[in-house]
Amino acid sequence: MTRDWWKHLVLILGAIIVLAPFYMMVSYSFKSPGEIDRGEGGFFGRQEMMIDPRCVALRQPGRADIEAARARFVGQDDASVQASLLAETEADCSMRPALFNYSKAFTEAPLVRYLLNGVAVTLSIFLIQSVVALPAAYALAKLNFWGRDAVFGLVLFCLLIPVHAIALPLYIGLAKLGLTNTYAALVVPWTISVFGIFLMRQFFMTVPDDLIDAARMDGMSELAIVWRVMLPTAIPALLAFAIFSVVAHWNDYFWPRIVVTGNRDLFTPPLGLREFKGDGDGSFFGPMMATATVIVTPLIVAFLLAQRRFIDGITLSGMK
Amino acid sequence: MSDLHIASVTKLFGETSVLKGVTLDVKDGEFISLVGPSGCGKSTLLRIIAGLETPTTGTIAIGGADVTQLRAADRNLSMVFQSYALYPHLTVAENIAVPLQMRQMTALQRLPLLGGLLPSARAQAGDIAQAVSHAAQILEIAPLLDRKPGQLSGGQRQRVALGRALVRDPAAFLLDEPLSNLDAKLRVQTRTEIAELHRRLQATFIYVTHDQVEAMTMSDRIAVMMGGEILQCAPPDVIYEDPDDIRVAEFIGSPKINILPVERNGTVLTVFDQVLSAHFSADSPKLMQMGLRPEALRLTQTAPLLTGRVVHLENLGAEIFAQVALDSNGSRVTLRAIPAQRHSLGLGVQVGLSFDLNSVMLFDADGARLRKAEVAATRAAEVA
Amino acid sequence: MVAVDASGATRVTKPKADNRQARTGWMLATPALVLMVLILLVPIILAGVLSFTNYSLGNSGFGWVGLQNYERLFARSTYEKMFVATFTYVVTVVPISVGLGLGAALLVHSLGRIGDIYKTIYFLPVMATLLAMAIAWEFMLHPTIGMVNRTLEMACGTWLEVIPFFAGGCADGFPIWLGDRDYAIWVVCFIGIWQGFGFNMVLFLAGLTSVHRELYHAAEMDGARSGWERFRLVTWPALGPTTVFVVTISCIRAFQVFDTIEAFWPQGGGPNKSAYVMMFAIFEKGIQQNLIGIGSAITMLFLLFVMFLTLIQRWLVERKVHY
Repeated sequence: MTRDWWKHLVLILGAIIVLAPFYMMVSYSFKSPGEIDRGEGGFFGRQEMMIDPRCVALRQPGRADIEAARARFVGQDDASVQASLLAETEADCSMRPALFNYSKAFTEAPLVRYLLNGVAVTLSIFLIQSVVALPAAYALAKLNFWGRDAVFGLVLFCLLIPVHAIALPLYIGLAKLGLTNTYAALVVPWTISVFGIFLMRQFFMTVPDDLIDAARMDGMSELAIVWRVMLPTAIPALLAFAIFSVVAHWNDYFWPRIVVTGNRDLFTPPLGLREFKGDGDGSFFGPMMATATVIVTPLIVAFLLAQRRFIDGITLSGMK
Repeated sequence: MSDLHIASVTKLFGETSVLKGVTLDVKDGEFISLVGPSGCGKSTLLRIIAGLETPTTGTIAIGGADVTQLRAADRNLSMVFQSYALYPHLTVAENIAVPLQMRQMTALQRLPLLGGLLPSARAQAGDIAQAVSHAAQILEIAPLLDRKPGQLSGGQRQRVALGRALVRDPAAFLLDEPLSNLDAKLRVQTRTEIAELHRRLQATFIYVTHDQVEAMTMSDRIAVMMGGEILQCAPPDVIYEDPDDIRVAEFIGSPKINILPVERNGTVLTVFDQVLSAHFSADSPKLMQMGLRPEALRLTQTAPLLTGRVVHLENLGAEIFAQVALDSNGSRVTLRAIPAQRHSLGLGVQVGLSFDLNSVMLFDADGARLRKAEVAATRAAEVA
Repeated sequence: MVAVDASGATRVTKPKADNRQARTGWMLATPALVLMVLILLVPIILAGVLSFTNYSLGNSGFGWVGLQNYERLFARSTYEKMFVATFTYVVTVVPISVGLGLGAALLVHSLGRIGDIYKTIYFLPVMATLLAMAIAWEFMLHPTIGMVNRTLEMACGTWLEVIPFFAGGCADGFPIWLGDRDYAIWVVCFIGIWQGFGFNMVLFLAGLTSVHRELYHAAEMDGARSGWERFRLVTWPALGPTTVFVVTISCIRAFQVFDTIEAFWPQGGGPNKSAYVMMFAIFEKGIQQNLIGIGSAITMLFLLFVMFLTLIQRWLVERKVHY
């Protein structure tokens, strides 16, 4: 430990730089606009009550409000009734900055909807990828058929193609089919994961033939073998692939940015955040960082809980 | 010149004591085997000798010089690893050359491109190439010199690892289970070759193995280790015929030695109530253990000392091993018979067994050998 | 009689079983095959064809323009800036993120279990949504209220002012980073490195743990005294395949940089187009401006670069495989 002090020094310096934006993001999501502007308040901010100017503006007491409230303020002139009402409104509209930021994050934009969209899209992508890739991987690994080598060669070739790179022709195709601005547009290009096929095929190669022959002796059909014998043995590999796939598509910004324009109902979390930034002014740093925190948190928490699996899953591509 | 002196070496890994005070002297040119079950500390001892681990207490001296504080690279020892540990990116020739390059060439001379331009480096390289081809000739791997380890069979890799060890002239060769990754047939062949190599080089070999056959067939002396201690260090025949400890007797020898309880009532020694020796006069415990090698037991019809039924037969062709369940308590003893006796052995056949008292080894309850008691017993039997 | 039956049966059923297996094989592989062709291969051909046209979405027809799109790519200064920005990014980010990844992996590996905490921290940026982190960085780099310039200002009035950068910064204000054409691309590079080196570190760590420990012992016995000699003799050769892979994947990822640039400069790719990278160009030309021909031409060039890199990697790995 003492001999390694310099290693720790270097690594800690690195860690500070790595963590700085996370620190800032979470810290700003707690702070009031004033504290952000002046750069004060430590990590959590002072959490003094603050007044939401927009809330006050929306509830500016009008003539009717003053008339209605006259009974409560007997013997006061209009101006002082208005002042009292204004004070009440301000009291109603004041809250702690942390609460303000997070409640704004969820009310200014349909963040819950975005998050659900994100979950739906990532899960459908993963499910379809598995349903397509597993049987193909099994066929390529364990069945003898004419043309198998050609199919596998094609898989190897397709591994070279990053899907982002062919975004433009894909977009044109989807536009021609009238599919832009639909869930389908978000999912379809990712339904085929060549990497998934390759990965599962490599995994299936390691499953002994005897296991499959035994299943055949037991009278299972080939499809049943895929789902009832191969799938269970492949769970670890599939889990790693799931992590790989979910992380990639939850965080993906490029593709949703292309195929979803304007229709907020289809926004994935990164798109929602982007929109927030687009129309935000300085006073919205807090809510925006709250949104960013909400979007980043699920994967980070999952990662911290199951680090080994995540690291294995993400680095999977490096094994072969 | 390069004798090796290990003095009361201990090693602690955290709380667990792996070596509990090992002392061993190895003479120059000796082939010594460290043998014992896994976890007995034999590999740790070898790695301490090599300098890959430091002992918690104790000293290592090579040729009279204390090397305990010297690191492995400076001890002039070479080692053959269980996994051979060949550098996968280097050819066989390059692998064998590494120890020479590291020791004889300066860092500058070793630089990949620039180094080749230095005249001194070129002269060095010539010497090294010669040494490598000499080593390759000894091990008959000259045709393999340009291949990479990945293209070699297990046996060939093993030779390359040997080559890398013997290319320079070390004070001693350390071998860590070098045969355990080979198949049975190759193991027997390589065993002979290593023994011959030792005779040819006249160098000190320290050989770690868990296989007693390897230890018995190759060594000048065997150090039997158990629980972090050397129980006995002696030539193979002594280890087999005259073990100091019941654990040594049980570890060496296949099939295992038979152990039977012996009782002393006054001056009478009995085994399962059969009198072994009357008029026994020696200071010995009341309860003892008797070790009998399978070949010490013989079949007899007249006045057998032990009786039982044959429950299992192993016919190895040149010899037959029979397991006999004793009538007295059902425990099994193994007996070695010659093929000529096959007709008198059959499953379920009742047999009588006898043995000579001078082939009996007596141990106390803790397993320590009782040589005086044996002498007394034999003498008493002769008098009778 | 029985024997004849049995042999006859095997002779008949064998090809039958083969047929059945072939049919199942094709049945199982077909969905994947169809999707592969439709989603991956057809678009490439489409892009290839469209790159020779002046097609726009919404137009009923199009005209063949030959190599005009490609000529434009190599003639106009906008595209020159695109190539400069892309290659600056790739050439900066790849070596530094690979080097830092290797360095971090070696340090973390040598620390044993305590090192795991650093591994976790360095991997966080890989998991985080890049767009969100880009926005966080944008705030960090805000010229007046950002954490970076605030931290730099703390150096004012100390001995650090000897350094010209600080002297200038304290006198005339520190850089405005994202708004400065001299800094913009480097900031993007920095974030690329920040985000990517943890991934490389983890790959290197996986490579390091697969190095057989006995090899280090053998190196020690062979007289490799210094850590550097053992690195040269054992670690570096063992990491060869990992390094090739890490470099390739870093290159491909670097070529695809988009999120940060779109987040910082939604219009136009940085001050004076200094961060106008290829993916952004495809997005802007092809999708926003509906100039499909030129967008397709950039796509084709992009694919060419990426495939070329991957093929080089495969070739290097093939050579190394035969240990």
